[in-house]
Amino acid sequence: MKPLAILLAVLVAAPMLLAPPVATAADDFTIALVAPLSGRWARQGQLKKMGAEMAIAEINAQGGIKALGGAKIVLREADAGDSVEKAVSAAQRVLAREKISAGIGAWLSSFTLGVTEVAERLEVPWFTLSYADSITERGFKYTFQTSPVSSLQAEQALDLVVDLAKRNKQTLRKAAIVGDNTAATVFFFKPLREKLLKAKGIEIVVDEIWTPPLADATAIVQKVRSTQPDIVFYGATNFPDSIQVLQKVKEFGLNVPIQGVGAWLVTPEYVKTVGKELLDNIMTVTAAHPLKGQEELVKRFTERTGEPFMTQDPLMTYAHVWIIKEAAEMAKSADPKAIRDAVAKLDLKSGPAASTLAPGRIKYDERGRRVGAAPIIVQWQNGEPFTVVPVEYATKKPIWHGAK
Amino acid sequence: MSVSDLAQYVVTGLLVGGVYALMSIGLALIFGVMRVVNFAQGDFMMLGMYLTYFLAVVSGVDPLLGALLTIPPFFLVGVGVHRALLVRVTGGGDPQRLMDAQLILTLGLSLIITNGTTMLLTPMPRGIKTAYATQAFAIGPVLLNQARSYAFLMALVLAGVVYVFLTRTDLGKALRAAADDPEAAGYQGIDVRAMHGLAFGVGIALVAAAGGLLATYHPIEPTVAVNFIVLMFVAVVLGGLGSIPGAFAGGLLIGLVQSLTLLVLPFQLQNVGVFITFLLVLYLRPQGLFGQRLRAV
Repeated sequence: MKPLAILLAVLVAAPMLLAPPVATAADDFTIALVAPLSGRWARQGQLKKMGAEMAIAEINAQGGIKALGGAKIVLREADAGDSVEKAVSAAQRVLAREKISAGIGAWLSSFTLGVTEVAERLEVPWFTLSYADSITERGFKYTFQTSPVSSLQAEQALDLVVDLAKRNKQTLRKAAIVGDNTAATVFFFKPLREKLLKAKGIEIVVDEIWTPPLADATAIVQKVRSTQPDIVFYGATNFPDSIQVLQKVKEFGLNVPIQGVGAWLVTPEYVKTVGKELLDNIMTVTAAHPLKGQEELVKRFTERTGEPFMTQDPLMTYAHVWIIKEAAEMAKSADPKAIRDAVAKLDLKSGPAASTLAPGRIKYDERGRRVGAAPIIVQWQNGEPFTVVPVEYATKKPIWHGAK
Repeated sequence: MSVSDLAQYVVTGLLVGGVYALMSIGLALIFGVMRVVNFAQGDFMMLGMYLTYFLAVVSGVDPLLGALLTIPPFFLVGVGVHRALLVRVTGGGDPQRLMDAQLILTLGLSLIITNGTTMLLTPMPRGIKTAYATQAFAIGPVLLNQARSYAFLMALVLAGVVYVFLTRTDLGKALRAAADDPEAAGYQGIDVRAMHGLAFGVGIALVAAAGGLLATYHPIEPTVAVNFIVLMFVAVVLGGLGSIPGAFAGGLLIGLVQSLTLLVLPFQLQNVGVFITFLLVLYLRPQGLFGQRLRAV
């Protein structure tokens, strides 16, 4: 009986062993998403995935990629984890396993720097929302950075807060820089520290940078309290760190405007953890946020996912999938090199891809940076984050800290 | 640097260290009695945080009480995990092979718990909104965060209870006997295997309670353990492997050093102070602050 049992087991198992590791229909068009799905940034990866899945569902429901005979888009996600090594290994795995036409990822700039090295080597076009300037300073042909870079964000965010303060009859003389040492934050703070604040006559009175996780925020907030800055530039990408700082701000009774650096500061869980009163009037600079006229898109997203509002991560990934779709229509091919060449020539001024991101145009320059990409300033107002700048896309007017 | 600033740094450090101390004594107890290095200790802490969170959100239980309520179920979880898994890799046999098996088992358990929680509860961070997380007791110019102060006091009480249990009760003495010399304890009629189960249960219950206290001011996510597990190990080794008072002192010392390091080093190097202290202690007193040449609880 025993040999017979073994034979039966082999016969049953054989088809499974012979099948390819991932079953994909011949005409599917595969996009890779490398994002943190475990570890301390997993929530952001999850939000990105929601955006990608929504775009794919819409495209497939509308008949897929028409130039490829109605090919359906398939998403292959790979977990970037919580370190650059894991992110790079995830990219290598997903790109080596099957034919990938284009990729998206990997949220944190430090991860994206590593992942785009892999994509460049394997010649797969790669789209990212990461901010760090260095991502598109390496002469890569396959990297497309859709967000405005950190240094540009710093410049424009500073102009905005100085202007907003002036309109509220306040003068900014002293600033605090407080944040972690992840790549996007570093690149945002660098120009502020080196030239921008000085040019505006603003003195830096606190400059504290940490490596996540932060053990305790008392010393930082104590320094801010004792130096009394007129504005705090704030970059704590790790949620527990950020919560600790905000709780301390309340505990110490600090009353100072906070200008955040990145979309991590406008996720729904902030309201649940620290309450809307503490968040009110806090502003942050992001690469994308729902704009005036996008109410329908946001409604579709909230109904689909149960999230209370839409933020940069799903919005940007949603746009990326649509950009890839448009490139595939133009290239009439699923070949990654052909897609890359099509993206380089792309100049979209209408359609879901273009209308999702301000200023309504998708075109990448020779470095791979999106032409006209400008930062969006988002402000918490009554427990919800709203776009307040640029004014033409704003869903609410900005309120200066302390003003009614 | 004024005296009040210095006092604030010391107080902050001690308050942070109090919860580190409670986290660490569970680990020290498990190592002291069973000689098992439990890599999943931080993950049980995370589960304790989630239980406290759900008690607070679903039943409206104050998280300070919730932290205490985590003790009975997690004691049973600890005893269950010991009976189902750890018993296979402790006790008699080749010590080196057993040690390897224990490491793989607890590391695997840690991965399963973290990723299982991520799948079941999603990676979304959650937090218990308490009034005392953002309020402080003022002693002159020095501010004591209320949540951390309550957590510190409860950690002190729980550590005291464990100490009394180990030194004043028959069961505690039997536990120590099983730690000191399992063979001789067996000859005296002590069920060493049951003592191992008891130690693991108490160790897990303590770290879950520490998690509950932490949840009063720290957000909860499936990966929260990575922020604390290294510090727990450092505290246990600093205090003297397996020593309960040592682990408690080690935890307090880490909090204090983390805070005082900021007086001389930038924030980015906050944990450098901890590891320099760690190396100094290992160099000058290899058995740890409270350690003896022979292992003891």
